[in-house]
Amino acid sequence: MTPFFEANRDLLIFSGAAALKVLVFMGGIMGFAALLTLAERKVSALMQDRVGPNRASVFGFAFNGLFHPIADAFKMIFKEDFMPARAEKLLFTLAPVFALFPVLALFAFIPFGDYVMVYGYRLELQIAELPTALFFVLALSGLAIYGTFLAGWASKNNFALLGALRGAAQMISYEVALGLTLVGLLMIYGSAGLQDMVRAQGKLLFGFIPAWGVVYQPFAFILFLTAAMAENKRTPFDLVEGESEIIGYFIEYSSMRFAAFMFAEFIEMILISMLAATLFFGGWQVPYLYETGFILPGGKALALNHYLVSALQVGSFTVKTVFFSWFLLVVRWTLPRFRFDQLMGLCWKVLLPLALLNILVTGAVMLFSGKL
Amino acid sequence: MISVKKVNNRPLNFLERIYLPEIARGLAVTMRHFFKNLFSPKNILTIRYPEQASPLPGNANLRTLHRLKIREDGSPKCVACFMCQTACPAYCIRIEAAEYPDNTVEKYPAVFDIDLSRCVMCGMCVEACPEDAIAMDTRELPGGALTRAEMLLTRDDLLRNLPGEPSTLGAANRLANEYLEGKK
Repeated sequence: MTPFFEANRDLLIFSGAAALKVLVFMGGIMGFAALLTLAERKVSALMQDRVGPNRASVFGFAFNGLFHPIADAFKMIFKEDFMPARAEKLLFTLAPVFALFPVLALFAFIPFGDYVMVYGYRLELQIAELPTALFFVLALSGLAIYGTFLAGWASKNNFALLGALRGAAQMISYEVALGLTLVGLLMIYGSAGLQDMVRAQGKLLFGFIPAWGVVYQPFAFILFLTAAMAENKRTPFDLVEGESEIIGYFIEYSSMRFAAFMFAEFIEMILISMLAATLFFGGWQVPYLYETGFILPGGKALALNHYLVSALQVGSFTVKTVFFSWFLLVVRWTLPRFRFDQLMGLCWKVLLPLALLNILVTGAVMLFSGKL
Repeated sequence: MISVKKVNNRPLNFLERIYLPEIARGLAVTMRHFFKNLFSPKNILTIRYPEQASPLPGNANLRTLHRLKIREDGSPKCVACFMCQTACPAYCIRIEAAEYPDNTVEKYPAVFDIDLSRCVMCGMCVEACPEDAIAMDTRELPGGALTRAEMLLTRDDLLRNLPGEPSTLGAANRLANEYLEGKK
């Protein structure tokens, strides 16, 4: 080995592992987001007694519509990339990037497993371990508003601008509620690192209930899910775009630029699912599964291989993510849209006071139970 | 007389106003449909056209796929008069006429194309035909093709009789009947 590699061995291994994790995790998320665009149509179809898209085929095999995301991508690429003559060229181009960047960057902090030992190296199954990850998540998701607002502003279209204004009002309002719903969790776990939070959820409450966040903070979970859906701008809260009748901020966008907005929406849905799983449903934790294997409350134990345990944990995280993504789809196709005053009233008159009340009650309980 | 129906909307009770139980009820409905259709698709209403077709109402007079009628001797009833081509608002009919070697009374269509991708199924060609040669009574629904070539009906596709035909009766093809009588 050359002296350079010898001297920087640890750094090189760290960089290589990080790059590998980014590739695998991001690849998985991109694939899942593409499948989610199909799942959205299939789930809504099944709910409405239809079959959904099932025609795109390769060599005559349609697999009940599995190739539709690919067909969509081809279609989007070959559409005309239209830009209004009076648009701000730079901002118009940047807006989809601003929409896509924060939601993609946020995945770096999500722990998708505990750790794996590879040739004696401890490989953390999280791209970036940050002690203040929760604050970073909130801060970056606050940046997503730039994508919406720049798109509306740079299009030089009044309808787009109005849509962007609605979006700004909605997203900034719900940002407040979203942050406050998570304060209760911060108080309980005493850490803002997502991996720390997940590890803390591996304990048992009264010896048999998994100490998941939803057990401590069921109320905050409902508030979080509501606020997160509003942040995501999907149907009960889709006044920003309102694809069927009111005109949204990306009216002037077409081709892959539009696809970027659309993709950002689906990726944000995965992000919300992962955050809900991480913060409230134990992340990668499987109930009663520890590093050495299963230990049931009765005292029965089942020893498992380290790699099997890791695989089970990653699998558990995947299952939870898929479940919440599906749940978000079902909610999106069940509830009708709010009126704008109802939307704002829900945020400022309902979610915000309830989130504050939740913090108060959590604090009081912690104070009197002596956990403080 | 104007009748006014007065709707008394009762005020929402507490459980309805906090909204969550009602959301749960709504989700229960949609999820029930989702899982029922996921595991037993027999309730799905979609008809997978063109592989499946819904049965046509039995006694309805529908304008369905075109056909050209055939006479007893196998020659087309069509005399290539171009009336249907002229009447067609979608310009989907193309006719090339040719002459019988032994018949100075009428012509026959050497080419008779109907481009279904342009056809609007208006039935004007049937109305225009003086010989009652073109008809839209096959009770087959056109469409559902993947290429344009499949949408082009040629003379050979069109020439067919329904059961019980050919019929030599009718005033419209009197000349042809006389010609056929003379041939016998």
